[in-house]
Amino acid sequence: MNTNQRIAKVHLTSRFRQLLVAILSVSFGISMYIAMNSFMAGVNNIQTQITFTAMAHIKIYNDLPANVEPILPIPKDSNTVLMVNNARNIQYTQGIKNADAIKNDILNMPEITGVALQLNQNVFIRNGVSKTSASLSGIETVNENALFQTSEYIIEGDISELDKRSDGIILGTGLARTIGVNTGNTISITTSDDVSKTFKVIGLIESGNKGADKTRALISIQTARQLFSKNKSYATDVLVNTNNYNNARLVSEKISKLTDYKVESWQEGNAQLVSSSLLRDILAIAVSLTILIVAGFGIYNIMNMTVNEKIKEIAILKAMGFNGKDIIEIFLTQSVAIGLIGGLIGLVLGNIIVQILDSVPFNIATLTTLPVDYKLRDYILAFLFGVIITLIAGYLPSRKASKVDPVEILRG
Amino acid sequence: MKAISIKNLNKYFHDPVEFQVLKDISFDVNKGEFVSIIGKSGSGKSTLLYLLSTMDTKYDGNIIINDTRVTGLKQNQLAKFRNEQIGFVFQFHFLLPEFTVLDNVMLPALKLKKKSKDEIEAEAIELLYLLGLKGQEHKKASKISGGQQQRVAISRALINSPSIIMGDEPTGNLDSKNTQIVFDVFRELAKERGQTIIAVTHDDEFAANCDRIIELSDGKLISQ
Ligand SMILES: Nc1ncnc2c1ncn2[C@@H]1O[C@H](COP(=O)(O)OP(=O)(O)OP(=O)(O)O)[C@@H](O)[C@H]1O
Ligand SMILES: [Mg+2]
Repeated sequence: MNTNQRIAKVHLTSRFRQLLVAILSVSFGISMYIAMNSFMAGVNNIQTQITFTAMAHIKIYNDLPANVEPILPIPKDSNTVLMVNNARNIQYTQGIKNADAIKNDILNMPEITGVALQLNQNVFIRNGVSKTSASLSGIETVNENALFQTSEYIIEGDISELDKRSDGIILGTGLARTIGVNTGNTISITTSDDVSKTFKVIGLIESGNKGADKTRALISIQTARQLFSKNKSYATDVLVNTNNYNNARLVSEKISKLTDYKVESWQEGNAQLVSSSLLRDILAIAVSLTILIVAGFGIYNIMNMTVNEKIKEIAILKAMGFNGKDIIEIFLTQSVAIGLIGGLIGLVLGNIIVQILDSVPFNIATLTTLPVDYKLRDYILAFLFGVIITLIAGYLPSRKASKVDPVEILRG
Repeated sequence: MKAISIKNLNKYFHDPVEFQVLKDISFDVNKGEFVSIIGKSGSGKSTLLYLLSTMDTKYDGNIIINDTRVTGLKQNQLAKFRNEQIGFVFQFHFLLPEFTVLDNVMLPALKLKKKSKDEIEAEAIELLYLLGLKGQEHKKASKISGGQQQRVAISRALINSPSIIMGDEPTGNLDSKNTQIVFDVFRELAKERGQTIIAVTHDDEFAANCDRIIELSDGKLISQ
């Protein structure tokens, strides 16, 4: 420890209460930064987790052609009148005939973590006299489970049973209640082409989304193909997950080059999710930076007071031959020490607050406690910001101290 | 050999009214001389000493110390110069109250970094003993008497063996026994080590025993 640092240490330790207040204000700022960001990240995680239990990162389907070719060219000469009545944009093909080929192509891309085919159609479900419409999904059970952890939401029965029994169906809990059936009962399904088939309810699914649970019915994709008399590799949707959902847009552009079908990233259809998660991030950063800056003002205030209190001693030091740089070092060392000690305490305190949040009961949807995320990056950033702010807050008073004119003070 | 040479020093205060404190002062002090400055209260003795100490730089005229023209040097250069060449005892013995007596004495030497910490400590203790402060080394500077503080300030002024020692009434708070001790120390330093001593004093006996007396009256040099 050099002489200046020793002087700084004596200054700090001789005013224990001021030191404590300064350290605590830094700790408070940093711990709040960590708590805010951990909590917001937790909320965002839950949000995406909920989002992606029902939605893939990228969806490929057969859309209406986007640009409709004009039926007749627009006449060039002004004496001709063009009249087309009741023009329609007709979809000649439905669904994707060669979904397996697309799936194999996509699986070769390194960013892709999973692909699942679905065959979705609206149908009528009947149990005796009660009948209701439902959205029937023919799924590849293994791939579906890999993408959406579907089996976690099956509250009765087993998803793999769908592959073993071609007459097995799993219903959303709301749907089952609507038509008054339970596991083991039989129901009949009627398609829009008026084909009917009897199914046995072999399980119930509850995803937490009430709307979906009221209409959802799952069968195996082979059964669905038979029901709708489609070829072996037919699907209406190819669902794709990537290794990072934030990159879905980029990956979807890459996939577009492989196929003529519509490729849609989740962001395209869910701008509200993207913007709300962005807004939460901005809010968290704004609030936590404000707290840190307020802590910075606290340190500025304390260091300013210290300099005013010690103005005579600064003059003495200068009279003895300490120069402006020494004085800056003496006072800056103090604020750095406050920043580092306060920062370390803040990290521990922040972690404790996050752990407390993590154990606060919160029973909504799939949550049991408040959602938080433990990210090393938050801790590093909080510490960095804290130290930088104390440095700035300490530098201004130190500079003032270095400019003290010893005679002015000591002449008395 | 001249230790200090000043020419045509003029010093004004502008606040609250324009006021000339020092009027065209010129004199030389030789190396190893023990000089006292006397004069009535308010005659400008402290002001003159602050100019000589290089802390106050707002004046007209020239000051040359140990062949270095200090007039016009920058603040940081002056700080270094003071640290090496000048030991100063203030009229109101200013110590750092949160530090121990020993630390107060050691600080200028720790700043100078010419010697190891152990050597500095040994010398500081020796100086404190010399000035009759045995047993006070580890007390806080704010917890000793006024006369003791003054002797600590003198020890601090001596620690770097400066070529010039300036004191603004260095014995103002001391009893006759301790005044004698300080006087003897100064005498010895001047004679044995050739250090130059300039002391402002109101003590006629102290002044009479010096090599030379410089007398100020209303900012003018009236005898030297
Ligand atoms: N900062 C200042 N601003 C204006 N006038 C000042 C200032 N300091 C001192 N003076 C005036 O300058 C004159 C000389 O002051 P100085 O302190 O040098 O006197 P002194 O000879 O040391 O007196 P004493 O023996 O009482 O210490 C006085 O008249 C004093 O009022
Ligand atoms: Mg005076």
